[in-house]
Amino acid sequence: MSPVLSAEDLTLGYGAEPVVRDLCLEVGDGDFTVIVGPNGCGKSTLLKALGRVNKPMSGRVLLRGRDVRGQRAKAVARQLALLPQSPVAPEGITVRALAARGRFPHHTLVRQWSPQDETAIRSALELTGLAGLADTQVGSLSGGQRQRAWVAMVLAQDTGILLLDEPTTYLDIAHQYDLLELFADLHRQGRTVVAVLHDLAQAARFATRLVLMDRGRVVADGPPEQVVTARMVEEVFGLACDVVPDPRTRTPLVIPHERAPSRPR
Amino acid sequence: MTRTTPSSPKAAPRTRAGEPPGRAAASSPPVLRLGPVALPVHPRSLLWAAVLLLFLAAAAAATLSTGDLGVPLTRLPAVVAGAGEATETFVLERLRGPRLTVAVGTGAALGLAGALFQSVTRNPLGSPDVIGLGAGAGAGAAFAALVLPGVVPVPLGALAGAALAMVVVATATGTGLRHPGRLIVAGIGVAAMAQAFTHFVVSVMARDQASILSAYVNGSLGARSWEHALTIWAVLILVLPLVAALAGPVTVNEMGDELADALGARAAPTRTAAVAVSVVLSAAAVSVAGPIAFVSLTAPQIARRLSTAPGPNLALSALVGALLLVAADLVVQQSPVGDGLPVGIFTMAFGGVYLGYLLVREWRRGVL
Amino acid sequence: MVRVKTQTEPHRTGPARAVLVLGAGAAALAGAVLLSLVMGSRPTPLPEVWAVFTGGADPFVATVVESRYPRTLLGVVAGAALALAGTLMQGITRNPLADPGLLGVNAGAAAAVVTATALFGSTSVAGTVWWAMPGALAAGLAAYTVGSRGGDGGMVRLVLAGAVVSAVLTAYVQAVALSLPETFESYRYWVVGSLGGRGYDVVWSVLPVIGVGTALALLVCGGLNALALGEEAAIATGANTLWTRSAGLIAGTMLAAGATAAAGPIAFVGLAVPHVVRALIGVDFRLQVPFALLVGPTLLLAADVVGRTIVRPTELMVGVVTAFVGAPVLLYAVRRMRSTS
Repeated sequence: MSPVLSAEDLTLGYGAEPVVRDLCLEVGDGDFTVIVGPNGCGKSTLLKALGRVNKPMSGRVLLRGRDVRGQRAKAVARQLALLPQSPVAPEGITVRALAARGRFPHHTLVRQWSPQDETAIRSALELTGLAGLADTQVGSLSGGQRQRAWVAMVLAQDTGILLLDEPTTYLDIAHQYDLLELFADLHRQGRTVVAVLHDLAQAARFATRLVLMDRGRVVADGPPEQVVTARMVEEVFGLACDVVPDPRTRTPLVIPHERAPSRPR
Repeated sequence: MTRTTPSSPKAAPRTRAGEPPGRAAASSPPVLRLGPVALPVHPRSLLWAAVLLLFLAAAAAATLSTGDLGVPLTRLPAVVAGAGEATETFVLERLRGPRLTVAVGTGAALGLAGALFQSVTRNPLGSPDVIGLGAGAGAGAAFAALVLPGVVPVPLGALAGAALAMVVVATATGTGLRHPGRLIVAGIGVAAMAQAFTHFVVSVMARDQASILSAYVNGSLGARSWEHALTIWAVLILVLPLVAALAGPVTVNEMGDELADALGARAAPTRTAAVAVSVVLSAAAVSVAGPIAFVSLTAPQIARRLSTAPGPNLALSALVGALLLVAADLVVQQSPVGDGLPVGIFTMAFGGVYLGYLLVREWRRGVL
Repeated sequence: MVRVKTQTEPHRTGPARAVLVLGAGAAALAGAVLLSLVMGSRPTPLPEVWAVFTGGADPFVATVVESRYPRTLLGVVAGAALALAGTLMQGITRNPLADPGLLGVNAGAAAAVVTATALFGSTSVAGTVWWAMPGALAAGLAAYTVGSRGGDGGMVRLVLAGAVVSAVLTAYVQAVALSLPETFESYRYWVVGSLGGRGYDVVWSVLPVIGVGTALALLVCGGLNALALGEEAAIATGANTLWTRSAGLIAGTMLAAGATAAAGPIAFVGLAVPHVVRALIGVDFRLQVPFALLVGPTLLLAADVVGRTIVRPTELMVGVVTAFVGAPVLLYAVRRMRSTS
């Protein structure tokens, strides 16, 4: 499996103190990679750099062997889509119009519409189950539906690679799994998915490969059951715990140790 | 067909891939196709564009034909063809023709400038006025009139003042035109200085001169020539390709920098370019008509409320701007109220009243 | 996280520091008051000013110094009112660029002054106060009525409504002023903004409005702290956001109306003082409000003294000075803004 996306000696950050230092990472074609790590470890920064949003201080990101910085922004955006943490929905926009915005990289100055747009938008709305709400305003949707609308936008972009920055934040548990199952479906259909997630159990359950980051470095990388160990969680998150297999999927599940109530840290 | 009616927003349809999808409501927009060109159009915007064009044509016809010197509508074709009487030809070619052409071009330029600026700053009050361009022009005019009377023509002083204000603003930010937030803050500072200077000059000058200057500072379309018309239209036509190229990226920019970058719209350069184009358009408008207030602020707001479409509504903003200025100038020329007053006063009044009406209407709806 | 230090959140403010800063503010104000009494077209040496206080001075000197009393008093009152109004407006809209004229107060005052002059001929400065005040209040109220309904506490509507009211009234002012030469004559002096040529009567006539505004401001400053967390968090902490916002806006409008009626539209004091205050004393509104009451008058009096001295024997109106002193400070501050947005 050749890497479709790879980071070479990436150093990322703003100003004197880099957030990510000399990081190397290869994402294989068809992987469902999940990046986890404590707050501030640089996982979002890394994801943005992979998506050509952040400019590296040094090092480079290769997309199918070519530096993303050396290519036209739209050309990159036709192969790789990024859903950031807090996108802004323009006032009064409908679900369909939002999904249509994902077609931007496929447009030129004179050709701002093509039959493929129609197909891509329709299939994005159907995949996200929003076809019936196409003419609803995004602002009037529930949280779960709104996040699906953003996913529809990214899907309409029709790329082989999806980068998702904490896509399940603020959703209830049913909608979280709903969305993750959708990503798993997309992965099964052949898309390469890279997601940043907070929940270790979810990460372990859906990822084919887990990348654990701490203070700007990759500290573990591999199949979930090898990465999520009691020792690792203790070391990186400072949380004493047991790791047991999930009764349904056999993937690792973190069970934190209780702390004596009267003794705060 | 499993579900045709959209369920209420609360009941989340939990359809997944594989389930039979509901038919999408027939919501795909019509597309304008012409050879290699394919542009989706927003029907409501198109309708309003047609209505505005009609109004604009009516206002233009009224500008040419009303009043003592007006050329009757029935005579217009003949006069244009060169078969008119001397007075008629004079009125059309020397007086009202150029004035109308300047008004349409200036209004469109101001509307476009405001739409671009408001979109990239995501600020409904953002307009090149806010970053001190108009105030700088006023101060430049005041300087020319007070300190160098007769040496520097007042309009030239205005242009120099606008340019100086922009240079000061762009230098003060330390990052040029890149950060609109900084531009607005710096602009407020420069505008305050410029305005204080203008007020001061007006207060120390002899009354008659002060009155003339004060009128100029409000922007005026009196005695415009074809050169003025040529200036504004040349600038408009020159930047039009740029505006067309920016329209898409600017629309995507509204969803936040990160997403815009991820979609390949390159947020930062887009913003710089949009601000630059907006400043150029406003400067051109100042150079032909003085600092006309409020058109670039209200036109985009009115346009977006007419179309109800998200995005900068560039074309509609330009049309609204042109209509606003032509209508205001018609009042100046033909109504006893407007006699001799600068047109900027009426753009302020019209734009303000209309925007106020829209706000009140929204408020009523919100209450219902 | 990476971004811990932001420039809007300077040093922590312990009570000791707050007392120190407030003390320094009070001392600076005392200095500015003294300076305002000393300086003029003919400066009076400090010992002579002191002699006037104690009653043992030359009658001529006493007259000169006493003639500076109303001007100084007006500077204190107007400076305090503008600073407080700016603090309130910025706190309520959570917009660091909001100024007291936000709701069309300046334009309302101008429209009333112009109307009065057009109808009754040019009036004395004291006479314009009685017009400017209701005009300013009415404009502020109109903008508030149109802009604040909607229930979402949306500040964008409010700001737009203020801009609309300002625009319409400014258009009216310009139209009247340019049509009637007599009106233009008095308007062009009024619009610069000045502390000179006003007697005690001007101060007394605006004092009640400014007093009520100040009292209201002191009442809401705790609520402003809650509001700074955002609408929902504020409600969650038990704050009555509707009351805080309406009372604050009304107080701000009254304060701005009083100051503008007395001294004409003075740029920048209301915009700049809150920034100075935040930088020196921190984000707690319960400290910001009293501190603004000290910083505002200090700056306005200082600007007035500068205006009186740099072009002797004539003088520069304080509105011109505040703009030319305040703007460069603002331009300097821009460079220190975080590069986001």
